[in-house]
Amino acid sequence: MKNEPVDVLIVGAGASGAAIAWSLLETRMRILCLEQGPHLADKDYPSRDDDYELSRYGKFSCDPNVRGLKQDYPINADDSCIMPVNFNAVGGSTINFLGHWPRMKPSDFKTKSLDGVAEDWPVDYATLAPFYAMNDQTTGVSGLGGNPAYPDYTPPLPPIPMGKLGQTLAKGFNKMGWHWWPSDVSILSQDYDGRQKCVNAGTCDLGCAAGAKGGTNFTYWPMLENAGVELRTECRVREITVDPVTGFATGVIYHGPGGQVHEQKAELVIVACNGVGTPRLLLNSKSKMFPDGLANRSGMVGKNLMFHPLTGVSGVFDKPMKGHEGPMACSILSQEFYENDPSRNFVRGYGLHSGRSTTPMTYALGGYGIDSPIPWGAEHREVMDNVYPYLAGLTVVAEDLPEEHNCVTLDPDLSDSDGIPAPKITYRLGDNSRKMLKHGEERAKEILMAAGAKKVLTKGDDDVWWRAGWHQMGTCRMGNNPNTSVVNSWGRSHDVKNLFIVDGSIFVTAGAVNPTSTIQALSLYIGDSIKNNIETLFD
Amino acid sequence: MWSETENKVLIAVLDELIPANEKAGVPAAGALGVAGFLPTATSYAPDPVGSVTAVLKSIGDKTSDFTSLEKVDKITLLKNVEIENAVDFGTLVQLTYMGYYSRPEVRPMFGVGAHAVHPKGYDVPRESDELMEILTAPVRARGKLFRDV
Repeated sequence: MKNEPVDVLIVGAGASGAAIAWSLLETRMRILCLEQGPHLADKDYPSRDDDYELSRYGKFSCDPNVRGLKQDYPINADDSCIMPVNFNAVGGSTINFLGHWPRMKPSDFKTKSLDGVAEDWPVDYATLAPFYAMNDQTTGVSGLGGNPAYPDYTPPLPPIPMGKLGQTLAKGFNKMGWHWWPSDVSILSQDYDGRQKCVNAGTCDLGCAAGAKGGTNFTYWPMLENAGVELRTECRVREITVDPVTGFATGVIYHGPGGQVHEQKAELVIVACNGVGTPRLLLNSKSKMFPDGLANRSGMVGKNLMFHPLTGVSGVFDKPMKGHEGPMACSILSQEFYENDPSRNFVRGYGLHSGRSTTPMTYALGGYGIDSPIPWGAEHREVMDNVYPYLAGLTVVAEDLPEEHNCVTLDPDLSDSDGIPAPKITYRLGDNSRKMLKHGEERAKEILMAAGAKKVLTKGDDDVWWRAGWHQMGTCRMGNNPNTSVVNSWGRSHDVKNLFIVDGSIFVTAGAVNPTSTIQALSLYIGDSIKNNIETLFD
Repeated sequence: MWSETENKVLIAVLDELIPANEKAGVPAAGALGVAGFLPTATSYAPDPVGSVTAVLKSIGDKTSDFTSLEKVDKITLLKNVEIENAVDFGTLVQLTYMGYYSRPEVRPMFGVGAHAVHPKGYDVPRESDELMEILTAPVRARGKLFRDV
């Protein structure tokens, strides 16, 4: 089935797709976004149900292989120590992300020239700073200005409550003389822009039924749809088509809600499917001109997959920490060990995040992302009565380095419900990351003891958290050299002049912070660059 | 689905997986009625009835009267079943935790609200500006913590 051509076709209605649609609104071009998932209705959010915790293990699991919904594509992660997680709906993974919103730091964009590892980005912090600020305003970001770990900026809203848990840990950091700061979060500390402030439900991963969390289904998309951007849901793109003479993208082939095949022509194609979905789509878009996948003359599509490997340490305190009250990932963030230190046995650094505690079922089943149930029997009773309520934890979030062997390819056997090949993840933890996590674990123990913990609990092995592949980066990286990168300094494919990529796949390095604020800042920057270069866009 | 005898054994098994804290008024899983949840848990395990049945069979192969065993003997037997049939036993443990902690009345026993978390949530006051000033003062005093590039 053919459809009327559009000017701009965006694939994916998550963090980056929404941001670039917003940026391009003023061009008055006809913009269409295809999203494989549905619009979620209010009744779909499990946090309104009495047995809300159960949904973490079914329809609202972060793991698409567990959810297994029609809009989900399976992911083969048999050769990975980290399972990529996501959500497929209008809002993408901002539906079930945790809203932690730190920016990348100036040095993150210069790892080659500063520290001799990976590559420098072709953009820098100063270039992105106005787009971070613009996005913070639109999204509604809460935080405290004056953080000495960053060039000066102030989030638009005051910080969310740190709570007993955050205050306790902050005192521990102060005793150690180490940096910490209230987390920047895309969670409303006050009513804002017609949205209700956070009620501290503590179930951010189950979608925010109140709309306090900055999912693009609550921030950008209502504005975009009101302004005339067309959003077609339950439409899954199979491949991007190319003119065999000019080499320009001509549009896409996609499957509609019933699986029927559609053709959609467009002048400009923008891919916004993140670090696994984007290389999957490009690798599946083969033609005579691009036999190894679209925009892949460098061979870099799918390579250099980076996650943020995580581990955690918990302290058991004398008094209940009430850690389930408040946004679940964010209270305070320490960047004491973030910048490179040549005296350590690893390069680059990590953050220490104070995740709050989770709810009883999730803890009993092994914690969020850990997935190893606590013991049964008398030990179960002991842990749930005398440990669980008294916990405060720190998560070590390590900077992953780009390594070509960590990659996304197409699985030869597995496919989604429309028969499109599924992605296969090949990923092993680098030695540098392992050393970094060990260092972080030791520092976290020291802080927890300084904060007054009676004892500290570690995972007890060298494994990283399994269901923790939230941050999927690097698989279509930016760069000035077409032989070693997929897109240029403003997101345009080196090989296909009317194809842009705006998601986490274009990251050159990973930093050690949650990437969504940077993904959206980049997307807005690319939108701005498209507008600034509109006369010569395809030259 | 299961015979009366099997049901009694199942309830006794559940009581061992999550035992009661009688002093604190926390019920055991069998007493709470978690057995009724297990056959409904098809969204969380491929074949919950099959797994439970397999565990019951393993127990039946070892004793004809599990419910009459001393507590220590019940635990020893269950640990043996866990070793011999780790997959089904693991499924039973996971589903027991789900069935138990999904009961809203259980959550307050661990300090968590019984209510669905939306729309009510929890009342957590924001720290005052004065407190934030005091807490962050040492951090600010140490100065800049990023590199110029």
